[in-house]
Amino acid sequence: MLTAFATLLSHYKRHPGQLAMLLLGLWVASALWSGVQAINASARDSYARAEALFTTGLDRLERRDGEPLTREDYLRLRRAGLPVSPLLEGTIEAPDGTRLTVIGIEPFTLPGDNAFASAGSTSELTAFLTPPWQTRLAPDTLSALGVSHREAPGAEPRLAGLVEARLPPLTLDPALPPDTLVMDIAAAAALLDSGERIARLVTSPNALAQAPEGMVLTRAATLVSPGQLTESFHLNLSAMALLALVVGLFIVQAALGLALEQRLGLLRTLRALGVSGRGLVGLLALELVLLGVVGALAGIVSGVWLARMLQPDVAATLGSLYGADVAVTLNLPWHYWLGGLAVTLGGLLLAGSGVLWRAAHLSVLGLGQAQAWRAGFHRQLKLMGVAGGAVALGGLALWLWLSYQPPGEGLLAGFGLIGALLLASALLLPPLIALLLAGLGRLVAHRPLAQWALADLQLQLPRLALAMMALLIALSANLGVSSMVGGFRLTFLDWLDQRLVADFYLRPPAEQHDDIHAWLAESTEVDELLPTRRSEATLVAIQYYAEERDEQTRELALPVGVYGITPGATLMPSWPLLATQAGRDDAWQAFAAGEAAFVNEQLALAEGLAPGDRLTLTAPGGEETLTVAAVYPDYGNTQGEVLLATPQLASRFAAPPGSIGIVLAPNGDGTALREGLRQRFAIGGDELVDQREVKRIATGIFERTFTITRALSALTLAVAALALLASLLAQARERRRQLAPLWALGVPRARLMTIQLAQLGGSAFVVGALALPLGTLLALGLVAVINVAAFGWRLPLFIFPAEMALTLATAVGVALAAAALPAAKLWRTPPRALLAEEAT
Amino acid sequence: MKRVAALLSLLVVFWLSGCTEESPPTETAGFAGLGEEAGDFAQAHEEITLRFPEDHAAHPDYRIEWWYLTANLEDERGEPLGLQWTLFRQALSVPEEPPPGERPKPAPWAADQLWMAHMAVSQGDSHRVAERFARSHSQDESGQAGAVAEPFRAWIDHWQLASRVEEPDADTFAELNLSAHQSDDQGGFGYDLALTAEGPLVLHGAAGFSQKSADGQGSMYYSQPFWRVEGEVTLDGITRKVSGRGWLDREWSSQLLGPEQRGWDWFSLHLESGHKLMAFQLRGGGEGGGDYRSGTWITPEGEPTALAPDEIDMAPLATQEAAGREVPTRWRLTIPRAGLDLIVEAPHAERWMDTSVPYWEGEVIASDAETGERLGEGYLEMTGY
Repeated sequence: MLTAFATLLSHYKRHPGQLAMLLLGLWVASALWSGVQAINASARDSYARAEALFTTGLDRLERRDGEPLTREDYLRLRRAGLPVSPLLEGTIEAPDGTRLTVIGIEPFTLPGDNAFASAGSTSELTAFLTPPWQTRLAPDTLSALGVSHREAPGAEPRLAGLVEARLPPLTLDPALPPDTLVMDIAAAAALLDSGERIARLVTSPNALAQAPEGMVLTRAATLVSPGQLTESFHLNLSAMALLALVVGLFIVQAALGLALEQRLGLLRTLRALGVSGRGLVGLLALELVLLGVVGALAGIVSGVWLARMLQPDVAATLGSLYGADVAVTLNLPWHYWLGGLAVTLGGLLLAGSGVLWRAAHLSVLGLGQAQAWRAGFHRQLKLMGVAGGAVALGGLALWLWLSYQPPGEGLLAGFGLIGALLLASALLLPPLIALLLAGLGRLVAHRPLAQWALADLQLQLPRLALAMMALLIALSANLGVSSMVGGFRLTFLDWLDQRLVADFYLRPPAEQHDDIHAWLAESTEVDELLPTRRSEATLVAIQYYAEERDEQTRELALPVGVYGITPGATLMPSWPLLATQAGRDDAWQAFAAGEAAFVNEQLALAEGLAPGDRLTLTAPGGEETLTVAAVYPDYGNTQGEVLLATPQLASRFAAPPGSIGIVLAPNGDGTALREGLRQRFAIGGDELVDQREVKRIATGIFERTFTITRALSALTLAVAALALLASLLAQARERRRQLAPLWALGVPRARLMTIQLAQLGGSAFVVGALALPLGTLLALGLVAVINVAAFGWRLPLFIFPAEMALTLATAVGVALAAAALPAAKLWRTPPRALLAEEAT
Repeated sequence: MKRVAALLSLLVVFWLSGCTEESPPTETAGFAGLGEEAGDFAQAHEEITLRFPEDHAAHPDYRIEWWYLTANLEDERGEPLGLQWTLFRQALSVPEEPPPGERPKPAPWAADQLWMAHMAVSQGDSHRVAERFARSHSQDESGQAGAVAEPFRAWIDHWQLASRVEEPDADTFAELNLSAHQSDDQGGFGYDLALTAEGPLVLHGAAGFSQKSADGQGSMYYSQPFWRVEGEVTLDGITRKVSGRGWLDREWSSQLLGPEQRGWDWFSLHLESGHKLMAFQLRGGGEGGGDYRSGTWITPEGEPTALAPDEIDMAPLATQEAAGREVPTRWRLTIPRAGLDLIVEAPHAERWMDTSVPYWEGEVIASDAETGERLGEGYLEMTGY
């Protein structure tokens, strides 16, 4: 048996290219998959740690007027018997530039057992509470501080900046979230130089029936956890990785099929020598597993490396998009490694099952005919056509089902739809090409060489089919993703321009707000002021407006943001609206009069709102009912939002004053204004932001958001190109053999080479051309289904001719590059050698 | 007196359990660390003369201190009811001596004192307990917890024991209000009480220095055992008018116990004759390793007589289970010098204080050992069981 196995494997000694191709397929498939899984696992670990932190899961209190709470507020509430605990939060800069979150806690009043848990054993409390205090942090935060794990306990690392600041001695606590330092509130106050101020008061969930006078109470239940928020993001990543895995497995199956076909003679000999059919299948399976383990291990190692490369971008994206802190270093649980191995092996067995099945069912005599299984290719084409049609029908059914779902639902179904679209197209590709070749063959009936070329291509099709399918999938995915990203980019930049109409945005200190507003209003540099306000409310009822049926009311308890803008000459013409009840002008008129509100697209999609519906919101003075006059796009927001005119928000929702947009007069001088504010009110710097700066930051966030998507889609394309190259290389030798007779018949070598390049370039062109509509459909699915479910907003579909041309060029380029190597070999091989090969 | 018990809790929480990997010390000294050496803290000793009202306030230069009130009350239906309110102070570090004439404001949130408070309301089988913690700085008298002398006020959050005397130059300690409330899932419990002193302060031991072990450790210790108590008590959401007698202990020290002492049994009794009796035994640390006993016999006029260790005899007669532990709830207490031979018994065993450091504290009834005649009532505190 051992000998039989060695004999089977000896095939790869003679064909190292096939072995390389097999391993390459396994490697890339498993690398991309494990890379993405590593990122997801690491992020989930971060979320779990963030959710375990005592700052989550607690109700929080802030002052209604937006001023910071102080120690005096805390003591006053404690003396009134309220179980509140002060929390100080701020950021400091580590020596390497990382922003670290400092959380100062008061362990005696912090609700729950976690007060003591967070400080470790009770005996450590004294050290925690008294100078020099303690800094508690997770081990993966150490690198930012430039401290090694070994020297960490007790170390007092220096901080960035001019001030000679040091952290209290370090104590490791792996349960803390990354980049978070927890210390006693006295130590944090000294470090952050926050004096008597605190960030907020916290209390155990529902300990307070209502907010104390002048305060806003935010229930823990209304704070969405980062894990929930980012779920769709990770699903997106997983889908991309799955795509890469599938493409990789296409390569594997192609290589396996080839390796089996070339070994049919060998298999027959082995059977003839007494190896049982079952034993032979067992040996082949063993070979698969062996290859699988090697490929998967290599893949997992590279996957982790890939994840390390991508992780900082992922962390940045999650941080800016959802405010979720994710470690920039990987943190992998043991089951991650097993999972990666299992998925790759499972995929491999799936890809190899067809081969095993065929090997088990071919008769001993049948084995004698080389190319035996290719004989069934026509049957196979038919099967592919039927299967492709079935998958397409399934996709259609899914699409129909989705169209009856409320918008924003069905993220998984959306991915299913896109998967079905890709799979159906891939399955239908070989029958389509076969049909095309047959048709073309009739057209060129009088040109023997062209006819031969088409017939020859038909002969090659079984081997090329899988690589072509992989290429089709990768090209369409790439085109779809880049169309979506590109379209989003255009929409987003446009939207930024429409929303950011003021030249400066000023966030005045609350106590100076009125003075500054008055001063600005007088300033000759200023054309218009756009004050904003922001608050929270609960949406308790929706009264749907429907002309054709009775009005119906739905009760709910949804926390929403309420945001106030100033409808004036500057803002009204530019603020984007997606839908209105009776035109823009009417909508703005009702809005300015305080009769109506606008809602953002997220809220409209999630609750099925349309202009004309009426919302009932909780407000400090009771409930407020507003009519929805319009829906506006709100990219990048994760929460539902209701928009009101600022004065309305102030009077009806008691919202504290927020930032002020400053529109400069036609020849107003921004520098003079900045200087005036600095001299008169001693503000500037952080409080006053240039509009261009806001746009720069927003664009930066956007770019990061899609860095990973782009990187993964480019990698998938590279894998597909490799698949095609590998398939061509694997059969290059045999191809030469088939070309020899043509040469002998007098066809010049240059001509032969051109034919070859035309064959491949032509088929790649067909694949590329098919990828164009498919990619566009894919982009449509992404913007109209996936994005709505994942982010809450819909995008218009944009077509990018340049991207399409690039897709086509990539397809042909990849094919030509893949064909060039065998062609060059052909050029160098003396014709006699070709004939000799043919003879063997 | 008894106060120690709770005290320990404080200690236990913060010092005691002190065995971390880095400092594998030293087995814990005494119960709940109350036997730790005084170090740089001031030390209680016989030559100290107590001064009032100053000594009603906190003594941050001593490590530990408490204000400890118990009361035996009756509600409007005539049902007996007991309550406890205790404020413990624990110094985190020896306060720095401010330069003369200067009192620098401490940094925000900086703390050199930790505070712990317990309250309990007990009636029949009901026994409700609450606990609070706070930090403060000895230079800052407006913190979350503290104790000041003039006018007297001891507080943590909204729990407070404060003077209601308004006349200038009067003794602000003579009339106090006690208020503490806690919400729970049974409707909440708490009290608002008016305390009126009907007798003088009583200094224990040698003019206020109370020795706690044979080798001389001790504390400064005085009591106000003559409170008349009127007010309202809420239990399980029901508020009732109550009246009765209260006993307030004040004690501070830097090393209360000898290192071998592991727990104590502490009695404070109001006798029908108008006499009061305080008696305790510290288990371990007496002559030759026996128990160390001490006490004070107080006349109705408030004249104290210190009782020497050999003038007190106390022995458990029966135990009962409380919160899963065997606790002696029936005692024989004999003070020949006062002509007392008492059976002291807790009518309800379930008075376990399930606080961060647990102990037993509950009402007791004293009766004559021979005739069985009821002679008085009071409180018993037992630790280390």
